[in-house]
Amino acid sequence: MNSVSKPESALLILGHGSTENPDSSAPCWDHAETISAMGCFGSVHCAFWKEEPSFRQIWPMIEEREVYIVPNFISEGYFTKQVLPRELELSGPTTIREDMRLHYCAPVGSHPSMTKLLANHALEIMGETVRPEDTALIIVGHGTSLSKNSAKAVKSQVQALRQGSVPFAEVLDAYMEEAPYISDWAKQTSAANVVVVPFFVADGLHSYQDIPVLLGIEPEPTAAASHREVFRHNPHMINGRTLWYGSSIGTDPSLAEVILDQVADFDLKYGL
Amino acid sequence: MTLEETLAALLPIGKKLGFGELHLRRTEDALFTAHHREDANEPNLHSLDSARELREWAKYDDEGAFRPLKTAPNLRKGWITRTPEAQEFLSRLDAIYPGLFATWVAYTQERLRIVPLRETLKRQSGMYRISAKISTERVEQIRKEFCARNCLRTILWPSEEGSAHDPFVPEKIDEIPLLCSEACTLAINHARVLALEESLTKTH
Repeated sequence: MNSVSKPESALLILGHGSTENPDSSAPCWDHAETISAMGCFGSVHCAFWKEEPSFRQIWPMIEEREVYIVPNFISEGYFTKQVLPRELELSGPTTIREDMRLHYCAPVGSHPSMTKLLANHALEIMGETVRPEDTALIIVGHGTSLSKNSAKAVKSQVQALRQGSVPFAEVLDAYMEEAPYISDWAKQTSAANVVVVPFFVADGLHSYQDIPVLLGIEPEPTAAASHREVFRHNPHMINGRTLWYGSSIGTDPSLAEVILDQVADFDLKYGL
Repeated sequence: MTLEETLAALLPIGKKLGFGELHLRRTEDALFTAHHREDANEPNLHSLDSARELREWAKYDDEGAFRPLKTAPNLRKGWITRTPEAQEFLSRLDAIYPGLFATWVAYTQERLRIVPLRETLKRQSGMYRISAKISTERVEQIRKEFCARNCLRTILWPSEEGSAHDPFVPEKIDEIPLLCSEACTLAINHARVLALEESLTKTH
């Protein structure tokens, strides 16, 4: 359990948000509510690139003079290195602006505690009766041929999971738009059971529609009344294999702890 | 004075205020209440008792379409929220109109940074970089057509750099205005579309 206690500081969680997907910002708000209820910060806020409050609107809302800023993003990249610092006018790990001290933490997806969260998320999807020793775990990312960074965070988590305390029969990475493709899951795994965890910060069209079709658990993209319905039909029996499919890792309530871990790590790294 | 204290001071017992499509008031039993302006005489309003419930309510319009812009003129009716706490009331108002009470307070204290549209567009990168190439004529089109049609906020930003921002002149008393200090993501996206159109026209 995290021991962050900063009643004089504010926490600002940054999300991408969406002008089209109503569920995109939900995990940020959920984690903010969880952390707010813990009472470890003076106030907890969210700001978004594509929703409100925007990164540019947020400052009048924050009354504390010290702010910890945690990007709820999966990896270091274009957003965390370029867009967020530019929009929030951050000049380094700590930015002094007028009488405010703004601490820019690393994104949640890069924290080592994500590994444990991924393992626990997979175990929860499978249920208690399924042994990890008989199960292949696939972490699925977006992947793109345009950038190596997209897959980097997934690969490093897969490496860590292979050496982790939960003895999965296999741990593999797979992607929607680059090899190894998630659509080849059956060829890439040999265990009787397979559990698939999307490495995304929120559920959206990829986790509701694209990946289920690529896995073969939905015949075609469907606009179900509740998109979350797709996670309620586990397990799926496909060609003699048993497949479990879970919601994006960013929707796991324990991600709130990872946000606090990034704050604690910032203090450790910069001696605060 | 904190934001919470400012809100409480603006709403003494018996006071009524407008805020976008909202009607705010403090009842005789000291409850802060808010509901849709057009529900003033509606006896059967559904009670929404948390910021979470209100955020979910404001997420969709009457047809069930997602409302990414919270100041779009289509907030659903039929609800009321009540709380004795100013801090909680502020959180609930932020769920409907994120940050806009704080924006107004910052404006009154001359702390609000107003950013010309051209400066916002010049800052963009990636797929939005082209938006900076938009002509002055088209820039005006964003404000007059796109923003005016789709949003209830009063624009404070000038279109071009070096111009003074529009002074805000309140039209009504007892009204907290919805102010826009910088173009939002939807306006930037619209600028991108117009800039792409312009570049295609020049090519042909």
